[in-house]
Amino acid sequence: MKYLIALILAFPCFSFAEGAAIDQDITRVKDAVLELNKDLYELERELLSPATTRAAFNVSLNNGKFFEPLSVELLIDGEVKVRHLYTERQVKALRMGAVQPLGDMNLSPGKHEVRAVVRGVDHLGQGRELIASEQVTKTSKPLITELSIVDREEQQMARIELNYW
Amino acid sequence: MGYLARFLVLAVIATFAHADISLKPGDQVPDLILPAVNGYAQRLEEVRGSYLMLIWLGRCDNCSELLHDYQQLAKSMEIDGAKAWVVWTPYKDDVPPNLLIPVLKYDAKWPDAWLFETRPSIMLIGRDGKLEHLITGNLNSIYKETETVFMRWISAGRGDETVE
Repeated sequence: MKYLIALILAFPCFSFAEGAAIDQDITRVKDAVLELNKDLYELERELLSPATTRAAFNVSLNNGKFFEPLSVELLIDGEVKVRHLYTERQVKALRMGAVQPLGDMNLSPGKHEVRAVVRGVDHLGQGRELIASEQVTKTSKPLITELSIVDREEQQMARIELNYW
Repeated sequence: MGYLARFLVLAVIATFAHADISLKPGDQVPDLILPAVNGYAQRLEEVRGSYLMLIWLGRCDNCSELLHDYQQLAKSMEIDGAKAWVVWTPYKDDVPPNLLIPVLKYDAKWPDAWLFETRPSIMLIGRDGKLEHLITGNLNSIYKETETVFMRWISAGRGDETVE
């Protein structure tokens, strides 16, 4: 009888310890799942856009006193890859220093002809077209570029530059 | 031979009709981004929260006169947060209407461009982006109806705001 009572009294302790162990196991499994998810995400990213072929193009507007963009077209090796229209809100964001991710794409290593055509209006309200045309060399590292629209105070106009990050 | 002809006809239809969409009142209007001939590009998603009158033009070669009343109507309702855009599809050397409200130029090359299949027509799009009223027909003959529906629609919205 004594043993039976002792067993009954000890049972909640056992089940409490068991419960704590299960909780720990669940936490460990959750952590493992999160880790696995992160690995899968990275693997997917690597597969979809590996560093050897990854190319990213961004747009920025420096001041914007002499030029306001209305649209941009990005051509790689003569083929239009991205077309974008700017709304007033987007131009405001660019003026405030935002950098617009224009496009992420895959480019094979080697030389490529990159041409960006930005259409917009100048400070006199006249339609203008800024063109950047450059031959870029894609190496095994990711190619990350920024199309900067920069004011040229001395020439009272803007120009576009292709910068590499 | 018959199959080949049918295939060719279907291929041509698919090529030219892919951008035309059909909507009825109650439908969510898909996002639309088009350049304007008189200013910045406009995006539907950016005006969610406002009432929008979207005027789809038929053939229009410098049809400013035709749109004068619509523009007046839109301007008179601006104070209530209503906006109005015109969507113009150029044909050959057509000249766009000269208006104060945004005149959007349709061009299939833009990624988020689409055309409403019935033109001319007037769409009244609610603040949640749903098509609430659709009026189709010649713009001259549907103006009175548009004015009545538009005014009532905005007034009803004003009432809702008071209740809220």
